Amino acid sequence: MSEPLDLTLREQAAAIAAGEVDAGELLQACLQRIEERNPALNAVVETFPEHSREMLAAAPRGPLHGVPIVIKDEWPLPWRAQRFGAAEMLAETEPGESGPYRALRDAGAVVVGVGNMHELGASSTGNISVYGPARNPWNPERCPGGSSSGPASAVAARLVAGAVGADGVGSIRYPATYCGLTGLKPTFGRSAMAGHHMAAISTTIVSGALCADAADCRLLDSVLFGEELRAGTPDGLRIGVVRNEVSEDVAPAVREACEGAIEELRQETGGEVREIELPELAAATLATVLIANSESLGGVTPERLNHLDPELSPIGRGLLKYRVLLPAIATIKAGQVRAMARRTLARVFEEVDVIAWPTVPAVAPPLEAPLVELPSGTLTADEANVRGGALANLTGIPAISVPVGSSEGLPVGLQLQAPWACDELLLDAAEALERANGRRWVEALPPAARGAEPLEA
Amino acid sequence: MEGSNQSDDFIAAGLASYGIEADEIELAVIGAAHQTFWPPILELLELDTSQVPSEPDPDLSQAPPSR
Repeated sequence: MSEPLDLTLREQAAAIAAGEVDAGELLQACLQRIEERNPALNAVVETFPEHSREMLAAAPRGPLHGVPIVIKDEWPLPWRAQRFGAAEMLAETEPGESGPYRALRDAGAVVVGVGNMHELGASSTGNISVYGPARNPWNPERCPGGSSSGPASAVAARLVAGAVGADGVGSIRYPATYCGLTGLKPTFGRSAMAGHHMAAISTTIVSGALCADAADCRLLDSVLFGEELRAGTPDGLRIGVVRNEVSEDVAPAVREACEGAIEELRQETGGEVREIELPELAAATLATVLIANSESLGGVTPERLNHLDPELSPIGRGLLKYRVLLPAIATIKAGQVRAMARRTLARVFEEVDVIAWPTVPAVAPPLEAPLVELPSGTLTADEANVRGGALANLTGIPAISVPVGSSEGLPVGLQLQAPWACDELLLDAAEALERANGRRWVEALPPAARGAEPLEA
Repeated sequence: MEGSNQSDDFIAAGLASYGIEADEIELAVIGAAHQTFWPPILELLELDTSQVPSEPDPDLSQAPPSR
């Protein structure tokens, strides 16, 4: 058998259940590997071996019995309040049992560490955090993606086989793409959210899995959903594509890989590709940003803004203050755009089963200067990435990022979006894509996961 | 230049009206954010949404009701 830590999530669970792997030894090996590989990656910001061992000792014989999992710094644990990657988060937090924690515990999983994240969840890059940035296992000088930077980096480096992230504006799918993983943003409301500091007010954020492949996401997301996400066969898949900036203002190598993957998916499923129109896409992107930003203002007062923790980054401080200047009329319009986009999608999904475009238009940019070169010119990664990631959060539909290629030695991801509550179809389609390319991209390992030498940061 | 002055005025007046202080670096961040967001916000405000059926408190876990 391979090194147990290098098994997939489902293989780890099966090996423990069959008595082939000792869960205590797996936990110890996992902690050891974090100690060895994490210093160069900063993916995991805290471990708590005693609490992990206690979880294991009390773990029920559930579907993840004894399997180590990393959870993003966005969820409280009974022994630790979340910090949201920030020195200050303008919300009261305390240790507690979040929904994802309970789901993991009840499935028998062992929370082995907390994953780094972009400060306040406010970027697709992961290059700013109170803990210092997480790094991309494919190249430690590149962004790991955000805001679920640590969970993605940890899984890509095989510190663990699965991690729980959160996605408010693409925050699972961007790091999944940058780190070469599969990441599912569930249908709004379908996965565990209790205990999140914005659970009562956010209309965009969901919890979800980041794993090496779709079958592992199916297992971990089944736990987060509290229901089995059954596998199906996406025969005759009708794949919708758009001809606008999300598919065309894209780095040539990314475009080529994604167009190739769409064709492979069509062939594998015996399906067809249809062009669709999403006229509100640009407005929907802005609407998502406006809604997500205004929903986070609940705990803000001028007094608090005048006494922000000096350890909060200047960008974080400036953006928090800018949010109060966003006009209410724009947020109201954003709500109307949301209604328009949802109706358009409902119509489109009568014609197609999934919508496909590149998750992000360029591979992971440098940590020091997260800019991307596109046919239209140089953009910040955030400006470029939000175009493709926001629609699912605005409208509530599920979306998945699947690795489909490589450029400059860095992964490329294709995003598939499906109708509300059709999360299973996305996993089915992702598995079809894996079959079509011989699992080449889900099995590709970054240097940091190939073993021996820790990367130099 | 005029646009830039208008932005500076908007930011300064907006923050002042709330009694929010900002240092030079924060003002630079706010200015950059404003440059990014304000033009599309103005476009958004021009968007004709009069025919959009309202969906107050939408249930985002499912498709909008067909009407």
